[in-house]
Amino acid sequence: MDGAAIIEFLAASIRIATPLLFGALGGLLSERAGTFAVGIEGMMLAGAFGGAVTTLLTTDVGAGLAVSAASGAAAGLIVAVATAKFRADHMVTGLALNIFVIGLTSFLLRGLFGGQPPVMQLPTLKSLPIPYLADVPGIGRVLFHQPVLTYAAFALTLAISVLLAKTQTGLMLRAVGENPEAAFTAGSNPVRVRMVAIVVGGALAGLGGAVLSLQEVGTFTDGMTNGRGFIALAAIIVGRWMPFPTLLGCLLFGGVTALELRVQGWDLPVSSYVIQMTPYLAALAVLAGIGRGARLPAAIGTAFARNRL
Amino acid sequence: MSEDGSVRVDEVDGGAVATATRHFVEALAGADWLRALLLASAAVALALGVTAVLIAISGKNPLVAYAALVRGAVGSIDRIAFALNKSTPYILGGVGVALCFRAKVINIGAEGQIAVGGIAASWVALSTAASSGASVIPAAIAAAALGGAGWAAFAATIRLTRGVHEVLCTLLLNFVGLLLVSEVLHGPMGEPGAGFPQSPLFKRQAWLPNLLAGTDLHIGILIAALAVVACHMLLWRTTFGFRLRLLGASPAAAAYAGVSFPRCAFAVMALAGGLAGVAGGIEVLGVHYRLIEGFSLGFGFNAVAVALLASINPMAVLPAGLFLGFLEAGALAMQREVGVPSSLVFVIEGLTMVFVLCAIGIGIRQQRV
Repeated sequence: MDGAAIIEFLAASIRIATPLLFGALGGLLSERAGTFAVGIEGMMLAGAFGGAVTTLLTTDVGAGLAVSAASGAAAGLIVAVATAKFRADHMVTGLALNIFVIGLTSFLLRGLFGGQPPVMQLPTLKSLPIPYLADVPGIGRVLFHQPVLTYAAFALTLAISVLLAKTQTGLMLRAVGENPEAAFTAGSNPVRVRMVAIVVGGALAGLGGAVLSLQEVGTFTDGMTNGRGFIALAAIIVGRWMPFPTLLGCLLFGGVTALELRVQGWDLPVSSYVIQMTPYLAALAVLAGIGRGARLPAAIGTAFARNRL
Repeated sequence: MSEDGSVRVDEVDGGAVATATRHFVEALAGADWLRALLLASAAVALALGVTAVLIAISGKNPLVAYAALVRGAVGSIDRIAFALNKSTPYILGGVGVALCFRAKVINIGAEGQIAVGGIAASWVALSTAASSGASVIPAAIAAAALGGAGWAAFAATIRLTRGVHEVLCTLLLNFVGLLLVSEVLHGPMGEPGAGFPQSPLFKRQAWLPNLLAGTDLHIGILIAALAVVACHMLLWRTTFGFRLRLLGASPAAAAYAGVSFPRCAFAVMALAGGLAGVAGGIEVLGVHYRLIEGFSLGFGFNAVAVALLASINPMAVLPAGLFLGFLEAGALAMQREVGVPSSLVFVIEGLTMVFVLCAIGIGIRQQRV
């Protein structure tokens, strides 16, 4: 690759990492508060659907983004009620949500439009060069020639980092994820904190879905998230449940995918299917490499019930 | 559940284990058949109620749609045969998942294991000589079991040696397994000149025998029923089954009793993978008579749904799997007749799972996944 190709590759990596980053940040909120986020995939798909259909019907991208966040939050609410209120198993509830959303979006895509999926060719969100910064050679092209949601994802990483590390709310959220009994004794309501964390996380994951449907491809197809929610989960583990390292994890997987797309044009002696496996195998390899070093929030996966204190 | 009382304490000794065992038996005593059945029915009824609203939103009459669904599921011998064939992989996959969940091993890799099992069976069916006769079928099924077990063992090895959660290992390998099918179909096993990624048609002697002349019903459903009985015996009548139940009920007590989690987890995952692999083999040998791209799509999730609906009880996997198979067969007919999209099945499935999980969570059924 020459210089221009490398710059183009790095820019593409960041663009591809954007939906992962939204999903991972949403999952990070949920997991730091003590709930496994296996349902991110479903929340992202719900957001991709809500965003695309709303934009199709109203031709207003702003409304589409709002509805995508709301759809993701609604999907999150199902998980929140089931896991926090009804103490259902986190992992399997997340999977059940994924099945539910796959079915619901596929059903509504046909049911709402008289039996056949509508033709959807939405204008994708264009890249928005930042004045002056975009003209810096090299990094200007890589960092400051991105679409608006990509900037938003980076800003969000900073915001969540500050929220978790520097605010009272963040402390409470982390306390609930580490030791809900102690947090309860100190006066917070672990069930409510967890529910809010999952629903807000769902809204973020929903926006991640909108990145796919409104910023990347401009349409919605059945099951279009195609495992990105699970890659986002892997990025959280790679980032050890911290926002900025998670961002690096997302960039890593974005980079692998960007490379995958380019390698397909290189006429290598392996087929495109083997190349398509690389993001999943890379995630697996990275997770295996980290091994047991990763430290989970102490109370993750457990249920909190007042009467058991 | 009368057989719960027969947990043998004499295999292990020590006061703590005896106490743990007693608690365990008490916990399970709350999960009698009638309650489990009532709960599953209530969850399904709730889910059907919610989906009726969805059907109404899409401008169709839910009653008309459900009537078409019932006709499509049990309306004729052909439909019943179709539904039984549909149920077969769900039962085989689901019974393995149920065993894993018993030991709190969340193996959700049935999808990939089915895919790899299908590849292995197809490879045997395609590469044996025409003169080999009917022995091709057992050989292909055995290869399918090995393929599925190997794929699961790969995930289990990463889980046990590197500590990556089995949910992520198995999920990520599902995507790889599906792509592997595409890879072999575009490479060594593809049919040259076919418009669709598929293998050549298998030789006649590799086709699973029919169970009922004049229909498509193959012997797969018998294999699935046998597997269910075998897993039931394994779980409730063997030392290994006891270890699985002990691990699920109290990992601490299991460790105290000297039960090795890595060994049990590896074995139960390989076993579940083998069963899923057989499901894949049956699907290619009995339904398609060839390997087809994406033939296993959605099977893995269905296996998890079946295991949960059966409250992770092997025997109950049989009715649960049949229910899902008939539901899906009916939904396909409903889509054709009334124009209600069959993806509604996933909505019903997902909702049912959530309801069952909530009921388990608040202890309506005294048993945790």
